Amino acid sequence: MKPVIETQHLSKWYGNVLGLSDVTLEIEPGITGILGPNGAGKSTFLKLITGQIKPNIGTCFIKGKKIRNNYPLFSFIGFCPEQDAFFDELTGWQFITGLLRLHHYSPAERDDRAQKALEIVELVEDKDRVIKSYSRGMRQRLKFAQAIAHDPEIVVLDEPLNGLDPLGRRKIIRLIKSYKGEGRTVMVSSHVLPEIEAMTKKIILIHQGKIFAQGDIHYIRDLIETHPHIISIKCSDPRLLASNFIQEEFVLNVKFSSAENTLLVETNNRDKFFSLIPSLSVKNNIEVEEITSPDDNLQAVFDYLVGK
Amino acid sequence: MKLFFLISILPVVVALIIKINQFFSDRTAIQGIYIFNNMTVVMYLQFLILILALFYGTSVCSEEMEGKTLTYLTTRPIAKSAILLGKYAAYTSLIIILTAIGVTLSFFILNLNDLLNFSLYKILLRDVVVLSLGLICYTSFFTFIGTIMKKSIIFGLVFSFGWENVIQYFPGSTQRFAIAHYLKSLLPAPKTGRFSFLMFRLEPSPPLLAVFMIFLITVVFLGLACVLFSWKEYIFED
Repeated sequence: MKPVIETQHLSKWYGNVLGLSDVTLEIEPGITGILGPNGAGKSTFLKLITGQIKPNIGTCFIKGKKIRNNYPLFSFIGFCPEQDAFFDELTGWQFITGLLRLHHYSPAERDDRAQKALEIVELVEDKDRVIKSYSRGMRQRLKFAQAIAHDPEIVVLDEPLNGLDPLGRRKIIRLIKSYKGEGRTVMVSSHVLPEIEAMTKKIILIHQGKIFAQGDIHYIRDLIETHPHIISIKCSDPRLLASNFIQEEFVLNVKFSSAENTLLVETNNRDKFFSLIPSLSVKNNIEVEEITSPDDNLQAVFDYLVGK
Repeated sequence: MKLFFLISILPVVVALIIKINQFFSDRTAIQGIYIFNNMTVVMYLQFLILILALFYGTSVCSEEMEGKTLTYLTTRPIAKSAILLGKYAAYTSLIIILTAIGVTLSFFILNLNDLLNFSLYKILLRDVVVLSLGLICYTSFFTFIGTIMKKSIIFGLVFSFGWENVIQYFPGSTQRFAIAHYLKSLLPAPKTGRFSFLMFRLEPSPPLLAVFMIFLITVVFLGLACVLFSWKEYIFED
C-alpha cells in the first residue's frame, strides 16, 4: 500500500531542547496510534506532519507533497489539536460553520456538512449553546467535529481523550474507530496504552524524541509482559500473605510498604500472580482491601525498555 | 470590545459636557466647529485612533496566539496571508465604524445650533476620511508589529505616544518619519488658539503626496506582516 504520510530524517529542537530526532516513517491508511509518555515528542511530530512548525532537519510529505506552507493540502487533512482552546463566545454551530467557510463551500453545503459533523459527535441538540457553557467532553467532541466536518482523507488527533470521563472516552473511541473506513488515514496520539489499544493495533512508540518501536501492538504488549511489575496489596495480614508469595518462582521481591498493612510485590508474570491472589486469600483467610500497580504506566514501561 | 466601544464614545461625552456647559454659562459661546476641529486632532488623531489601531492591530495575530486558536485557522486550505488580511480588514472596518459614529455624534452635539449650515458637513466628511486613513495605516503598522513581537503592546504605546507625538515637532524633514505628519497634512492649518501648538507642523506635505505615503506605508507593513505570518513559526506557550 502506498504511504499517505512520509517523513525523512525529521528533526526538531526548541532552542537547546530536543523535540524530535531523526524520524523516518511511512504511514499507510488505517488507524495509527502514536504512543509515548508526556513530553516524548508526540505533539511535535503531529505538528510537523501538519505543517504547523518547521523541521530543523528533514522533510515531511503528505500524499507525496511537502506540507509546510502548502495550504491546498489542508482540503485533505483534519486536525484536532491537543489544547482545550476555542472561540468561546461562539456557539458550536457558529464554530463549525465558521471554520467550514474557510474551505470555500457554498452556504448550503456548509450547513449540511456542519449538521452531519455535529450529528456524528452527538452535539446537534447543543449546537446553539455558546462553547464556554460546554462540558469538557462536549468540547473534545466539538474539536473532533471540526476536524472531520470537511470529510478529510487524513485525520490527525492529538490526545483526543485527554481529560475525559470513561463514558466520554468510550464515545470518542467509538467515533475514531467508525471513522477509519473508506481508506482514510487516522493518526491518534496518547500516553495511555489501553486507550490506543482500544482503537488500533498499529502503533508507533515514541520516547525522548525518537521512534522507539513501531508495528503491531502485540509486539509492544510482549515487551511489556516481560517487564517486572510492582504490585501493591493492602490486606488484613500482609506478613502471612508475603510468606506465601515468596515460595513462588514468578515473585522476584517482596517488601513491606510504609503505608499501613501494605505489601509491595515484584513479579515477572502478572497473569499468574493475579490468579494466585484469590486462592491465597481464601486459604489463609486474609481480607484483601486494595490491589494497585504503581508502575503500571507507560513511563515505567519506557524506563524499563530503555534500561533505566 | 466593550471597553474599546466605551473609549471610542469618550469624545461624545466630552462634547456633551461642553455643550451643556455652554448652555448654562453666560460666556460667549465658542463656535462649535472650532471645538470640533480641535477635538478631531487632540482626541481622535493623537489619541483615540492610535489606541484603537494599537489594540486591534496587534490582536490580529496575538489574540489567536494567546487563545491558542491559531491552529484552527492555519490548518485550512487557505493562505495564511488571507487569514491575516481578512482579520485586518474586519478589525479595521469595525474601528472605522466605531470612530465614524463617535465623530458624527460629536459633530452634531457641538454644532447643534448650526445644523442647517451645510458647508460644515464637508468638514465632518473630511475629518472622517482622514481619521479612517489614519486607522487603515496605523492598524497595518500594528498588525505587522503584532506578528513580529510578543510584547507588541509596550512597543506600540512607546511608538504611539513617544515617537508619533514627539517626532512631528522636530524641525526639518525628520517629521516625515511620523504617520501623524501625513494625516495632519490633510487637515487645514490651525487657527491660532489654545490648541494650535498641537497642530504645529513646519512643512506640511502636499495632500496627494500625503495620501500616497499613507497608502504606501499601509501596503508595505501589510505586505511584511503577510510574509512574516506565512513563514514564522508560532509555538504556543504552556
